[in-house]
Amino acid sequence: MTLALYRIDDRLIHGQVVVGWGQPLDVSFIVLVDDEVSSSDWEQDLYRMGVPPQIEVIFASVEKAAELLPGWESDARVGILLVGDIDTAVALAGRVPQVRRFNVGGVHHRTGRKERLRFVYLTDDEAAKLRQLAARGIEVTAQDVPTARAVPVGEFT
Amino acid sequence: MASVNGALARALLRLFAVQGSYNYERLLGVGVGVAEEPLLRDLGDPKYRPAVARGAHFFNAHPYLIGLAVGAAARAEHDGARPDQIERLREALCGPLGSLGDRLVWAGWLPFLSGLTLAGVALGAGWIAVAVFLIVYNIGHVALRWWALKAGWTHGARVSIALHHPVLQKALALLGPAMAFAVGAALPLTAAYLSAPFDSWARVALAIVAALSFLALRLRGDRINGLRLSLALSAVALVVALIWP
Repeated sequence: MTLALYRIDDRLIHGQVVVGWGQPLDVSFIVLVDDEVSSSDWEQDLYRMGVPPQIEVIFASVEKAAELLPGWESDARVGILLVGDIDTAVALAGRVPQVRRFNVGGVHHRTGRKERLRFVYLTDDEAAKLRQLAARGIEVTAQDVPTARAVPVGEFT
Repeated sequence: MASVNGALARALLRLFAVQGSYNYERLLGVGVGVAEEPLLRDLGDPKYRPAVARGAHFFNAHPYLIGLAVGAAARAEHDGARPDQIERLREALCGPLGSLGDRLVWAGWLPFLSGLTLAGVALGAGWIAVAVFLIVYNIGHVALRWWALKAGWTHGARVSIALHHPVLQKALALLGPAMAFAVGAALPLTAAYLSAPFDSWARVALAIVAALSFLALRLRGDRINGLRLSLALSAVALVVALIWP
């Protein structure tokens, strides 16, 4: 199959990803792309604990992900790719032309961010980066769970 | 700290209110910050205020295990961890504590005991079964909250050690099948108990409705859910009861 979901979610691996998306998509592997987590054993240990044993978790830096992404796309199994912030999404999309879509699944409140949707808080700079991704032909939508409506980037940035 | 157990007890009491703080901006973050505050008091200026503010940032996890994050973050503050490390610790704990708590409590302990209680009521134990459920469930619930808080405070940033605790891992492995067994046993017993006052034809009708509902949920789970179906059937039953001659 392929990577069925490219998701931006600052909680990275959590129930909405593992159960909400993982079950209907019948996911067999999750790729977590984050430069810091990929070099932190204790963080990897924690994130692995949130995933049932039958689902493989792969940790990768942006550079490594760019190298291995074509292989994940042609994997016979279904997978989800997760990034924790918009900068990582932009960096990955800039390096790998196969990235054609991003689902904004959860970017939460921090100083300087404004509420765009119930589960999406963005600074003006982050909103502009998402619009730039869309302008490059990448489909950017916001959708927390599969049963919700996919909100186009123009409606929340 | 002058009285660690006193501060932990205050934090535990505040943790019972953590779900009251829910909002879309920080989810349970403010409640977590309030619960963590007693453990931060002896940090003194200038560390106290920024530590409390950090504690109230965005956070979400299972309410019974959230004490693990409260204790771990407070311990990391005392150990002099950098603010960005504490933020990362909190972020990394959200997912696993939510997922483990869901499997352990919402999909394990609670339906397991509910199944046993329903079976107990159906077999004639009556209100005693309900009382035993309330006592046993809450012993497990409060013990889990207390263990999580203590374990977080003990291990700090190395809190994953606590999550690998053999008792917790064993409970995770056993509660799923135990829950399935208890609920599986409770269903026919409860169905027989509830349908006992009905005539035999009505019991057959109930069985048919139950089977069709099960099929509908299996085949059209994308459009129907258990709650909607139950409400619709209840409405139909009320209307039928009102117009029945």
